[in-house]
Amino acid sequence: MSLLEVSNLHTHFISHDLNNNLRIAKGLNGVTFEVDKGEVVGIVGETGAGKSLTAMSIMGLLQPPARVVEGSVRFDGNEILGLSAEELNRIRGTELTMIVQSPLTSLDPLSRVGKQLVRAQREHRDISKEDAWAAGVETMTTVGIPDPERRMRAWPHELSGGMAQRVLIALALINGPRMIIADEPTTGLDVTVQAQILDLLQGLVRDRDMGAMIITHDLGVVAHYCTRICVMFAGSIIETGPVRQIFNDPRHPYTQALISSTPKRIAEKGYGQIGGPPPNLYALPAGCHYRDRCNRAADLCHTAPPLEDVGGGQFARCHFAATPDSAAATVQNG
Amino acid sequence: MADPILKVRDLVKHFPGSQSGETIHAVNGVSFDLMPGETVGLVGESGSGKSTIGRCVLRLYKPTAGRIEFGGRDITTINEREMRPLRKEIQIVFQDPYSALNPRMKVGNLIGELVKLHTDLDAPARRDTVAALAERVHLNADLLTRFPNELSGGQLQRVCIARALATNPKVIVLDEPTSSLDLSVRAGILELLGELQRETGVSMLFISHDLETVELVSHRILVLYLGSVVEDGPSKEVFAKPSHPYSQALLSADLPPDPDVKLDRKILEGEVPGPVHLPPGCPFAPRCPLVRPDCTAAKPGATAIGENHHAACVRVADGTNDIRNADAAADGDMHKKFQDQFIGRTS
Amino acid sequence: MTDIAATSSAEPGFTWTGRILGVTRRSPTFAIGFLIVVIFAFVAVFANVISPFGAIETFSSKVLFPPGPEFWFGSDGNGMDVFSRVMHGARFAFGIAVPSAIIMLVIGVPLGLIAGYKGGMIDEVVLRTMDVVRSFPSIVLALAVVAATGQSLVNVVLVIGFLDAPIFTRLVRSEVLALRSSGFVDSAVAAGNPTWRILFVHLLPNAIRGSTAMIAVRMAWAVRISATLAFIGVGIQAPTPEWGAMIRQGAEFIISGEWWVALFPGLALVGIVLGFNLLGDGLQDLLDPRRKATGK
Repeated sequence: MSLLEVSNLHTHFISHDLNNNLRIAKGLNGVTFEVDKGEVVGIVGETGAGKSLTAMSIMGLLQPPARVVEGSVRFDGNEILGLSAEELNRIRGTELTMIVQSPLTSLDPLSRVGKQLVRAQREHRDISKEDAWAAGVETMTTVGIPDPERRMRAWPHELSGGMAQRVLIALALINGPRMIIADEPTTGLDVTVQAQILDLLQGLVRDRDMGAMIITHDLGVVAHYCTRICVMFAGSIIETGPVRQIFNDPRHPYTQALISSTPKRIAEKGYGQIGGPPPNLYALPAGCHYRDRCNRAADLCHTAPPLEDVGGGQFARCHFAATPDSAAATVQNG
Repeated sequence: MADPILKVRDLVKHFPGSQSGETIHAVNGVSFDLMPGETVGLVGESGSGKSTIGRCVLRLYKPTAGRIEFGGRDITTINEREMRPLRKEIQIVFQDPYSALNPRMKVGNLIGELVKLHTDLDAPARRDTVAALAERVHLNADLLTRFPNELSGGQLQRVCIARALATNPKVIVLDEPTSSLDLSVRAGILELLGELQRETGVSMLFISHDLETVELVSHRILVLYLGSVVEDGPSKEVFAKPSHPYSQALLSADLPPDPDVKLDRKILEGEVPGPVHLPPGCPFAPRCPLVRPDCTAAKPGATAIGENHHAACVRVADGTNDIRNADAAADGDMHKKFQDQFIGRTS
Repeated sequence: MTDIAATSSAEPGFTWTGRILGVTRRSPTFAIGFLIVVIFAFVAVFANVISPFGAIETFSSKVLFPPGPEFWFGSDGNGMDVFSRVMHGARFAFGIAVPSAIIMLVIGVPLGLIAGYKGGMIDEVVLRTMDVVRSFPSIVLALAVVAATGQSLVNVVLVIGFLDAPIFTRLVRSEVLALRSSGFVDSAVAAGNPTWRILFVHLLPNAIRGSTAMIAVRMAWAVRISATLAFIGVGIQAPTPEWGAMIRQGAEFIISGEWWVALFPGLALVGIVLGFNLLGDGLQDLLDPRRKATGK
């Protein structure tokens, strides 16, 4: 039994437009994956693929008109979808925590950092202010913030980008979580700072035997910090497997296009596949959602492709996943 | 040897800070040439001044000091009215196409605007020009009647490139043109830019923090730190063998999207300090693993390494500029002296 | 906030009923406000045709009749039909609200555009001037203007328009500042646009979006204040069928028990002000940018 088990998650945006037509955007279409202790799973995909939506659905943070319409999320064996906010709060912020992008807008601008760390603890358990403060200082040290005592008294706007991200990590860690979800933890940070933050996260996962899920669009991050990768497209996971395998032998045409579009590979092999326009979540094509952009699309693709087991723990959602790949060809422009 | 189309000498740009008496030293003495048909990449992290340089070159800002010569003409201090006719020769593509374009104008009109402003063509001729431009950037013609928010990021960036091309400029400044685009779309844009340069011989100033992309598209690069050029040279040379300690650290921190590549990283401490209080001498001294006393005495000049390849570091002369030997060469006390003062300082 | 991928096609199925239902669902406030304002506007336009009697048609033998089959809202102290007068009063309400709104915009918006765009000294001067104007108590200024130039509706309209212009200056200015910081203006300058085009082709349509709701609210205010002025005897004189003037007239009769002379114009006034306010609130709901699915 894994730490986090997501099965067949469907999240839709249901609203009426100005002409009173019912419009349903299918954000997630049957997302299934697992994260275990000591694993770092990377979730990659383009804008609108559903990466952040997955995290928000798991954490119960969806706002109307978004809604989970089907599926299950089990944390430590217990179903957490459909729990009341109160019940969910026993797990959120303690056992299962999340770090979001833009840390500068996620911290409370009206409270000093130390106060936020203390609050995060006292909301979930009985602990004195002094003890909570001390724990805060200790966590700040763990995340590598120099001069933590002084920084506890800082206001969020006084922090630099990297420092603020470390504070967010401290807030996520302070109650000793078993699993952490990091949504684009290094986007917007300088390259030299990214390295520091990622090393920190990796070290923590290892030392505390936590499970981690990193959502990113940066393949470099995935290549060096994740053990497994899930590639998302139009709300489903279209390929998953150990990192090395996926990079060396991607089986789904989308993953192939993604891997071949990195500058190094372009330098080697030239411009091959070019991305296409993003899928219309209001009107997804029947069968394989990628078929409008795929250079291998055939009649068979009008039926939904199963998740093919390609071996070694790698799975790809394509009718042709098992057949070896031929050279990539150009498709329409994006 | 042809003349450079753009000549920048000792460019300085300072802004007034949010507190009174504070100055933001965005650009502090940058010099470079841009030759016809060449792409020069400006690389750096936050606070490096690369975007500011791009905007100064376009005269969206007025330089505080220094000289900018475009096509032989000194444009450093001319006013907007004098600059306007020159704008058809030097154009820009911004990072975020959604915020750069008027959301209430149709895409076709947005491209046509450039043609209208800089040529005397009548409406039918303009329409033809716009259609031709759309085709050149591989943009579907029926998108021309849509509004910006109906197009995807990649499509809209093509619109911005079409706008930049509309007047056949000599120079195009690209400020992080692919950073806000999805991975699968970036390659398409880069390919388009390469195509256009081959066709028209336009020069490009490619500003980006993405090292891999810059290496792919640039002939020469400038590595910037806190508003100064720390290294400049042919892009292949600089990437293969960076000379300046900062270039070395920067390139080593890059994460190649290939799990089989072994990382050999020199993790720098702290972050780029704010541009309000510049350290004395070399701007990189507070974080440099190879710092020594003469680094803070004066700002290092550019030492030649190869043909057209320079690094602004005092250690280049005696060959001790390899940060892999940091522990042996560095002066530990100097480092400690800077710790509190400059590392991780905000604002 | 999660993102939905950019979709391009035009929305499916436009029908008038669908549009009405869709808008009402999105903002019932807007729907109600719109309905009220439209009814009053209809009455204002067609008052001459649909009112049972003339606006100042006098029946000297039928003074102060209570509401009944002949005079639906009763008759006033001069024997004029209150109902017809209330209907004609709608013309005055719009006749004040609309021109005032136009003046507010014509004065306020360009100043806001220029102050926001140029910044620096010009910005300071404009802001301080607007502060001064805003600190005038409207009624006092109106009294002063009328005392100087004589009783006239036009003067009242000008004063109201002038006094409320700073609101739009501020709104437009902050929109312009936001647009400037997003790179929008840099892009227009880099394209080679002359200043007038930047201001009027690019900035104006985008900066004024945030003001549309405020226009409705200021129109409500214009009607209220002109009624107040008329009530204290400034600007409009009897026997003009303006609601404020009518309330002034009717006030005398309340003590003696003829409640209808003041009440019905009062209700009409409340009605139209409510309508404009609801319309403004509703527009805010509809135009809320977060409601739109953009491609980001």
